Amino acid sequence: MTDGIKRRDFLKVLGVSGAGATLTACSTENVERLLPYVTMSEDIIPGVSTWYTTVCDGCAAQCGMWVRTREGRVVKVEGNPNHPVSQGALCSRGHATLQHLYNPDRYPGPMIREGDVLRQTTWEEAEALLAQRIQSAAGNALFIGGATGPSMARLVDAFVRAVGGRRVQYDALSDAPLREATRIAFGVDELPRYEISQARLLVSFGDDFLETGASPVEHGRAFARMSAADEHGSKGRFVFAGPRLSLTGLNADEWIPIRAGAEAALALGMAAAIAEDGAAAGPYASVVRAYDVRTAANAAGVSEDTVRQLAERFAEGPSLALGPGVGAHHRNATAANVAALILNFVAGNVGRTLHVGGGPNVATRPFSEMEAAIRSMAGGQVGVVMVHGANPAYSLPPSSGFAEAFGSVGFKVSFASAPDETSAMADLILPDRHFLEAWGDSMPRSGVMAIRQPAMQPVPHFDSKQTGDVVLSVASRLGHSLGGATFYEHLRGAHRAMHGSDPAFEAAWREALRSGVSGHDMGGASGPAQLRGPDAALTFDLPELDGDGDLTLLVHPSARFGAGEFANSPWMQELPDPVSKVMWHSWLEMNPRTAEARGIREGDVVTVESPHGSLEVPIRIYPGIREDSVALALGGGHTDFGRWANGNGVNAVTLLPAVSEQPSGAFVTVATTVTVTPTGQRRRTVTNEGSSDQHDRPIAPAVALAELGREPAGEEEAHGELKELQGVGGFVPVPAEGGEPTAFPLEGSRHGNYANAHEARARWGMAIDLDKCTGCSACVTACQAENNIPWVGEQQALMGREMQWMRIERYYEHVDAAEASHLDVRFLPMLCQHCSNAPCEPVCPVFATYHTPEGVNVQIYNRCVGTRYCANNCPYKVRTYNWYRYTDENVPEPMNWQWNPDVTVRTNGIMEKCSFCMQRIREAENRAVVERREDRIPRDGEIVPACQQSCPAEAIVFGNLRDPNSRVSQVVRNERTYRVLDEIINTQPAVNYLKKVTFHEVASGGHD
Amino acid sequence: MAGGTPIERGALTHPDVERLSDVNRDVLRALGRPGLGWWALFALAAAGVGLFFGSWGWQLYRGIGVSGLMSPVGWGVYITTFVFWVGIAHSGTLISAILFLFRAPWRQSIYRAAEAMTVFAVMTAGLFPLIHVGRVWHAYWLVPYPNSRFLWPNFKSPLVWDVFAVTTYFTVSAVFFFLGTIPDVAAARDAAKGLRKKLYSVISLGWRGTDQQWHHFGKAYIFLAALATPLVLSVHSVVSWDFAMGIVPGWHATIFAPYFVAGAIFSGVAMVITLTVPMRKIFGLEAYLTTKHFDAMAKLCLLTSLIVLYAYLSEFFMAWYSGEEIERTAFWNRLFGTYWWASWTMLTCNGLVPILLWFKRVRHSIPALFVISIFINIGMWFERYVIVVTSLHHEYEPWAWGVYRPSIVEMGILIGSFCWFGFWFLLFTRLLPPIAIQELKEVLPPPLRKQRQEVHS
Repeated sequence: MTDGIKRRDFLKVLGVSGAGATLTACSTENVERLLPYVTMSEDIIPGVSTWYTTVCDGCAAQCGMWVRTREGRVVKVEGNPNHPVSQGALCSRGHATLQHLYNPDRYPGPMIREGDVLRQTTWEEAEALLAQRIQSAAGNALFIGGATGPSMARLVDAFVRAVGGRRVQYDALSDAPLREATRIAFGVDELPRYEISQARLLVSFGDDFLETGASPVEHGRAFARMSAADEHGSKGRFVFAGPRLSLTGLNADEWIPIRAGAEAALALGMAAAIAEDGAAAGPYASVVRAYDVRTAANAAGVSEDTVRQLAERFAEGPSLALGPGVGAHHRNATAANVAALILNFVAGNVGRTLHVGGGPNVATRPFSEMEAAIRSMAGGQVGVVMVHGANPAYSLPPSSGFAEAFGSVGFKVSFASAPDETSAMADLILPDRHFLEAWGDSMPRSGVMAIRQPAMQPVPHFDSKQTGDVVLSVASRLGHSLGGATFYEHLRGAHRAMHGSDPAFEAAWREALRSGVSGHDMGGASGPAQLRGPDAALTFDLPELDGDGDLTLLVHPSARFGAGEFANSPWMQELPDPVSKVMWHSWLEMNPRTAEARGIREGDVVTVESPHGSLEVPIRIYPGIREDSVALALGGGHTDFGRWANGNGVNAVTLLPAVSEQPSGAFVTVATTVTVTPTGQRRRTVTNEGSSDQHDRPIAPAVALAELGREPAGEEEAHGELKELQGVGGFVPVPAEGGEPTAFPLEGSRHGNYANAHEARARWGMAIDLDKCTGCSACVTACQAENNIPWVGEQQALMGREMQWMRIERYYEHVDAAEASHLDVRFLPMLCQHCSNAPCEPVCPVFATYHTPEGVNVQIYNRCVGTRYCANNCPYKVRTYNWYRYTDENVPEPMNWQWNPDVTVRTNGIMEKCSFCMQRIREAENRAVVERREDRIPRDGEIVPACQQSCPAEAIVFGNLRDPNSRVSQVVRNERTYRVLDEIINTQPAVNYLKKVTFHEVASGGHD
Repeated sequence: MAGGTPIERGALTHPDVERLSDVNRDVLRALGRPGLGWWALFALAAAGVGLFFGSWGWQLYRGIGVSGLMSPVGWGVYITTFVFWVGIAHSGTLISAILFLFRAPWRQSIYRAAEAMTVFAVMTAGLFPLIHVGRVWHAYWLVPYPNSRFLWPNFKSPLVWDVFAVTTYFTVSAVFFFLGTIPDVAAARDAAKGLRKKLYSVISLGWRGTDQQWHHFGKAYIFLAALATPLVLSVHSVVSWDFAMGIVPGWHATIFAPYFVAGAIFSGVAMVITLTVPMRKIFGLEAYLTTKHFDAMAKLCLLTSLIVLYAYLSEFFMAWYSGEEIERTAFWNRLFGTYWWASWTMLTCNGLVPILLWFKRVRHSIPALFVISIFINIGMWFERYVIVVTSLHHEYEPWAWGVYRPSIVEMGILIGSFCWFGFWFLLFTRLLPPIAIQELKEVLPPPLRKQRQEVHS
């Protein structure tokens, strides 16, 4: 041994210093919330998802939800298949509620305003302050909102009764006119229940039931079932009557571009044509007689023949007419809804396709009560005002005087969980929990009850408290007992009261939590109802419009933002609007001929001026709007709503008067005319639309209904073998003209990218029925949520760098307000086609993209060098590239809590794309092994990609194409099946589309 | 050699050279103290190199997003400039190897500069794939080397072929270049002092000018020339397959290989003109770079211009003749779409302007040739821009059409690449004899022979 350090000593030193370094690194500074699995929760198995049921509170529809949690964090929401409203699907906004949960702009805790700044305080202090202020208000408390479920509403009612005051229900978007119309016409104060799927002719008088109606998911599913061609070649027809094609309108087979507000005239004209003398209309006979076909046609601005023919077909039944929805609430909206009900009545639809009562729950008199509340606030009669679940400072026009009246109240309390324009004025902010952290219940319609249960511990970044708990606590401080110390106890107490014995209640409670629904769905079925005479004044004429501008302003709720409450979700901001395909900013829709006549081009910034306000907004040319109208969506122009919402777009309500529709008390959205003058500035439209014309390429072809079943048998036979080979995947060269397909697989195909394809047991594939797809874009957001797809922001999106793996292409074949007899719009969900002969694969120099034996084209993120050759060579352009560290830079804490742990979060400089939800395939495969199934293959239908899971229209089916009995194979065996561009470039995609079916002859874009 | 003896004037390629010793003196003068002009250019180039690496560094720091690239245009200015520089690199080897084998009498004066240009152009071009990829730190994955992952590059990918093509070309052209300089560097060594002398001693590999050395040198030069010749054709063919192997309308054409080779020679010769005109002026080499040389280069430009123009027209013709709507739309869009200006710049600079070269007066006017060569350089850059960008921005899926706008960083790197190239070229003019002394002397009539002729007559 020489001197110097010995091996043993060296190891000792190394060990000690190493342990020391580790200990130092493990210092508990800044990590107060380490939670090791000392006592492991029974519900949590690391790496395995735990699912909870709850109810979405994104809109009034209240879809049942399945919430997927991983290691205690909510990572995804999906539709609950047990729930009668959602039936397993979910809309885009439903998915985006997740971003409200992790919204980094949420209040960190209860806040007290001191001068201009907010000071965070404790719940103890905040509640004491509120109790004291309510006491000193001496019975003059006003509670706005609070309607998040029946128990909560009852609790708040009890609270305001106890402390003295009143509650005002306020809902910016409410189908109140329809509810009021049903009350007037049939004496039932509920929305009617539509059986859309039973109708063979559906006429919507401006009801946007697919995107912003009373229950978009439920109606979307029913609509797809009604309108898609079935195996017998039968298809329901949909006619849209209104001045502008909404997403719902774009799904119509015919468009009757009536004047804004002429719905009543058209409906009554049709009723008159059906019931000549009007006798069938009972108490409304005189109204129907007054609107003979000619008068109606003149009022609506359409031809008499149009009215007569439509009426004729409508009378054949089964048919259904839908009265104007939120986007068409003009001053006579209740009367227009009554007219639609009369039409349904004379056509014999009541009791068949339309049931009186049992429809979705909506607020009554949502705005007129608010008007009264504003008056009392302005009059100094309110001591304390509390706002919960509403943002009237944003969603009401300045002329309503809300802001001034609210500001004049001595003590203003907001229960907003994140900043909004109303809480920005509040003196005390008591942040509510997100519904995924809180207890509650919901009653989407009579007979259907569901419990909201928290799916995770409250997000620790925010010291929030459920408003129900605050109400109970404040009440007890004031000496009132409202039942239960916490809202959870209160809720259970309320539900216990519905049951007799305790054991029965416990079982029912557990079952309600497990299945996500309780109560008995009556299905809304009702016997035939009789029309009643009106008990309120109704005007069926064209509604009054303010101002003398030459264009009618149509303000409609946004399919992405609702009335604006989703504006701080970057998913929603970056989701191309289903109609205009614009992201991030606002736009004014204008007919191309109107624009041309005024020398206005797409992207010109114009001043829109109404008697009530003016806005500057860029123009979006849209052929689906009448020449005398322009349209502006709600939801933009926030000032205090969070980092993604503020300053994006304009707030359309500033152009509107504060008028409530009579007699329903709804807020009027189609109320004014405007003048439009160019400012001379321009702004590039942020859109993913390259061209809305498919240039006669075989991308989204259609087939006429009459042509179905007429394909010559011989042709199918000739390609039979080839098609089958393509169906099961693998590289199959198309044989020369007349030659036989070569034996499969080819010798060469046993190597490289296509090796072992013949040994695989599955060939994963997809079928998308374009006759069902409504373009609602729920799949896009579902995919974004499932696959950790970042958003890129307005500037990047403007450059064309948006990252969504799916997009809904919207091609116009025939959209023209001037001759809109038949409407042909093609929606095409575009995602990676998983080509058997994929152009992206051979060009990658490092094998970062290759083909699995099961036919999935996969991208290996770690291997990608970022040459982008694959994207260039992809004819479908479905590969997206991480130009920056979007996942780091754009996703602040705790938004990143939403990341799906089963999917790699991608970094800068690499390519990504749809993986067919590989993680779900693997999960199912693992389950098949764990459960020791004999064949160890997932069962058909067990693997459901996020897009399919979310699709309200059931347009997407995923499965094993190699199994001839799988559902996807069955769907694909259809004469309408085609593959995009395949006939030109032989890519042999695994995504099979079923052509859209039209009633008219397909003039262009057919390519078959 | 009998340096002081006057040689015959007028009958030769270099009528103004009086004595063989003038050659050494005049050419090696360039290696002496540089003038203000050189320093000004060098300072400019050095600043540009700073811009180049500054821009690249910023891109590495922030991400490839600082470029204007987007979907569907995943390749833009970087690939355009890559192909441009690879193209420039071509004429060097063409002049030194092919023309050597064909014994073209006008190559001696320009081939050294052309070869240097080749080496520096490949050095510039080779950086662009690295600048272009998203994760340059993994770019070595394109090289086949044994590794623990048992992963090889995808030999089906033209990008892997590119790696081979460009590295091979760089190696061969660099070896060829240095081999050719040996006798001249030895001459410079003999005239130099200090550090320079040491440097030249190393590069000249102990050249003494013995018969045996000359013999080996001559053989090696011929073999390397023969080896380099197929590379002239192959390298740019491979580069063209980066595009032709793709299915993008506007790329997927069999004409691409010959079309690119012709274009490469076209642009390369134009660049030689662009470089030699100021070099001749600054170093006073008018006697060695005569209008005769420029005339020959202009003729080569004219020929390749016609080939390139033919390729353009045949592309348009084939798009129409194929009857394939998508192909037709792509080429219609090329002329009248968003990037119409790029296509028309390309057609004007590469098709119309070179028509002037039919005129002898133009070919013999050095200023005119200089201007025309600049036009050709611009035109050839735009040719690649048209191919890369215009084809990509309107592909199969109309919904995904989009417009690419180069960013300021891309422009910085583009301009910086010229400076990077110029930086090396300026150093070359100062460090190595810019004209091949020994070859030049070969074509000058030996004074002894002349005297003997006089004796005999």
